[in-house]
Amino acid sequence: MTVLLAFDLLLAASIVGLAAATLLMRDAFAMIVAFIVFGMLMALGWARLVAPDVALAEVAIGAGLSGALLLRTLAHLRGGSLSAQGGASVSAPANGATQGVNALLAGLATCALGLAYLGAPQNVPGLEAHVADAMPESGVTHPVTAVLLNFRAYDTLMEVVVLLAAVIVVWQVERGLAETPAPALGTVYQGFARVALPVAVIAGGYLLWIGAEAPGGAFQAGAVLGAVAVLGLLSRHVRPAPAHRPLARGAFVVGTAVFALVALGVAGAGRVAFEYPPAQAKTLILLIEAMVTISIAATLAALFHGRAPVAVSREETDR
Amino acid sequence: MSPVLAVILTVLLASLLGGLWRVIRGPSDSDRMLSAQLLGTAAVAMTVVLARLQDMPALLDVALVLALLAAVTLVAYVALSESRGR
Repeated sequence: MTVLLAFDLLLAASIVGLAAATLLMRDAFAMIVAFIVFGMLMALGWARLVAPDVALAEVAIGAGLSGALLLRTLAHLRGGSLSAQGGASVSAPANGATQGVNALLAGLATCALGLAYLGAPQNVPGLEAHVADAMPESGVTHPVTAVLLNFRAYDTLMEVVVLLAAVIVVWQVERGLAETPAPALGTVYQGFARVALPVAVIAGGYLLWIGAEAPGGAFQAGAVLGAVAVLGLLSRHVRPAPAHRPLARGAFVVGTAVFALVALGVAGAGRVAFEYPPAQAKTLILLIEAMVTISIAATLAALFHGRAPVAVSREETDR
Repeated sequence: MSPVLAVILTVLLASLLGGLWRVIRGPSDSDRMLSAQLLGTAAVAMTVVLARLQDMPALLDVALVLALLAAVTLVAYVALSESRGR
């Protein structure tokens, strides 16, 4: 097992080293790529810590979609294209006051984490025993899903609301972003898309369904389906138009709405909100997760697009 | 079996760290992006080995999602770089 110990030490050292290297880089593009690789290393770390749920979320969101979102943002900052040099300089000279405030806030967050760690009771069993006791009432067999969608469903509802709030803000603010430029995605991409897109759709549905008994669930499935939508946007197979707004709004809201309606319905039936009747718990959880998956996928795609769909002029469409 | 797997895992991590040099030094954007894709392949392989080593089939799903989504950033890079001036 000494080899495995060496592996763990090497992995831990490279995670910390890459984090430091990412912060010290001057080039924004290099930072983004390093951050993507950092996500992969983190996922391997979570896998070694026997936390496959976190590893799955990390690869889906950290290594997958965050990279695409960050690249898109950088392209906007550089005036519409990653390679264009005419846009505003991204690496503006760092302002001393801003750096000071950032350092202060980061320091406070670190202190708070340290205090929370030191203040936590040491060497006592966690909540695993309580979760294990309550599993038969949860309707699912995977403890993480039972916690997220049943025991602490209120927190999860609030997480879905956060995504909804994010997309509302993005749609409100007109930042003068250029329409998605027409990419020159040729035959190589077409071949990739023909294989990858159907597999990704199936994988998304699979992750949603498997969430009841194994790592998976709405957030991971939503991220995979959101990636499908991002590929559609990039290749302009999907062109957001004003006519899509009502459909998109419905997709953004459906997860939060169904989640809240289920809670209200359960509360109306003489129980505490989110205290699902054990017989219907699995159905309700899968219903909520399916709707939340739609919302997450639509929201991530809309965040990638970066603005409310607007009418585009004829020549821009034909470009 | 597991000592062999642990050695494979360590060699894969070493190859990933070797590729990291290109991510950090560049010099060009394409060098960085392509080495990140290469590292993604190494990470998929390591996840598969870990699934076997730790007897956790759930990690195979992690490898599947990583393999599927790693290419999305590459497509985003190509699409967002090439669009101007065409």
